[in-house]
Amino acid sequence: MNPPETTSSKAPPSGAADKTTKEQTDMSTAGDRSPERAQATRVAAKPGAGTGKAGHGVKLKDLNAYYGNQHAIKNVTIDFPANEVTALIGPSGSGKSTVVRCINRMHEEIPGARAEGRIMLDDLDVYGPNVDVTAVRRLIGMVFQKPNPFPTMSIFDNVAAGLRLTGTKSKDLRNLVEHSLQAVGLWDEVKDRLNQPGIGLSGGQQQRLCIARTVAIEPEVILMDEPASALDPISTLKIEELIDELKERYTIVIVTHNMQQAARVANSTVFMLEGEVIEHDATNKIFTNPSDERTERYVTGKFG
Amino acid sequence: MHETRHKFHENLRALEVQALDGLDIVIQQLDRALESISYQDVELAGMVVADDDRIDGRYLEVHQGILSLLARQAPVATDLRIVAALLHVIRCVERMGDQCVNIAKLVPLSGYEAPKDKDILDAIERMGRLARSQVSQAKQAFADRNTELAHDLLRQDAEINRLNREIFRRAVEVGDNLDMREWAMFMILVARCLERIGDNTVDIAEQTVFVVTGLFREFADASTPSEAARPL
Repeated sequence: MNPPETTSSKAPPSGAADKTTKEQTDMSTAGDRSPERAQATRVAAKPGAGTGKAGHGVKLKDLNAYYGNQHAIKNVTIDFPANEVTALIGPSGSGKSTVVRCINRMHEEIPGARAEGRIMLDDLDVYGPNVDVTAVRRLIGMVFQKPNPFPTMSIFDNVAAGLRLTGTKSKDLRNLVEHSLQAVGLWDEVKDRLNQPGIGLSGGQQQRLCIARTVAIEPEVILMDEPASALDPISTLKIEELIDELKERYTIVIVTHNMQQAARVANSTVFMLEGEVIEHDATNKIFTNPSDERTERYVTGKFG
Repeated sequence: MHETRHKFHENLRALEVQALDGLDIVIQQLDRALESISYQDVELAGMVVADDDRIDGRYLEVHQGILSLLARQAPVATDLRIVAALLHVIRCVERMGDQCVNIAKLVPLSGYEAPKDKDILDAIERMGRLARSQVSQAKQAFADRNTELAHDLLRQDAEINRLNREIFRRAVEVGDNLDMREWAMFMILVARCLERIGDNTVDIAEQTVFVVTGLFREFADASTPSEAARPL
């Protein structure tokens, strides 16, 4: 992995990144919205990378992350299988969010923060020397705790924003926006007021709008950092249903403080403590018969 | 490191005590059922039948407690295994209670005269003592999460099964007297009830091992080949 200090989205794009953007534009103006487009982005980001159309897994190998001198993530190795939901659980400060923010290279945006180790999206080295950070974030979408629709934009434009950046023609936009809103179960609720501001929606609707915005550009991986913790119970359940549907097409990593949420949505669950992975196993195993005593104590509420 | 779900764990422990104390009621019922057989005490047998309401009541209390714990506390890991095991244990308690009633109900049917055959009665009494000791040991094994004690129940249960077969053979050879034969047939049924109580204690032992290890393995008991040829 590159020395992360030298890698930031503000750095001038490398030649390879230039090429990436151009190719994406070309692909997009051709109106090609198939999964191959996302793959093309990835291939462009690293020539020769990428195989097949099926899901794309993420592998973390010996990841270490720091905030200045503070060693926040210690030798973390996690395999996030394609088309599965993996939940990260653990007490506050255990490093769950930092792990997720390393995956799409958001960690390095924090002054003094750096990461070492290897993160592979299939065979694309996310921290590789010629990788364009913007391209990485297009492949690895993120949904945050607090719904954050673009405040000045309409519902339609919120979803269309990412598509416009990738150069989608306006005649395709409407179909793609509708498709994305349908994917998150929001279409019927908003189809008659697409031009109204996104922030006029309820919290749960706003969060689904943000997920629609994320899926609109067809990422390969969706990272979710506490996506439902600011929502009411019904909206929470809707998001959980949605996660279950989205895993058909995407690889999902979810950070949650709500252990029951992890139990409900995740195929496998990672328990983290003080920057280390204590246990990673099938969700069923973690919640019925965890192997590590610390996992047992955490999930049963004997400490936390 | 402090416990964050203190109240929940208190509730869970109380629920376990409530379920396991059901085994004490079973022992009381079993003692009286056996006494009513030994002394042909029809009145005492009637009390055993009537008192089964206590066990049924305990079953309903624990069952309700488990449901509300599941609904409100969503137990996981060892807690979840304990809850699942208690559901099983309380069912065993209820069934053992029913077996005591079955024994007691045989008392008036088998006549108002003294027991007819000393060998059979001795074997029944020995089975009764073994069954009683097994119920008590099952309780202790579960409460202490003692897998060795749990596995030891198998050894004891083999003896109950052996006595069950012995009583059957003895009953077949008991002679031509009609009353005698009829009484012996009833004793076969009593032995069968005691044998079932033994099996229930083995079930509780299996649940003990499940709580401790997270793995459910049925102990090799009545279904092993050597037992397949048993008469009942």
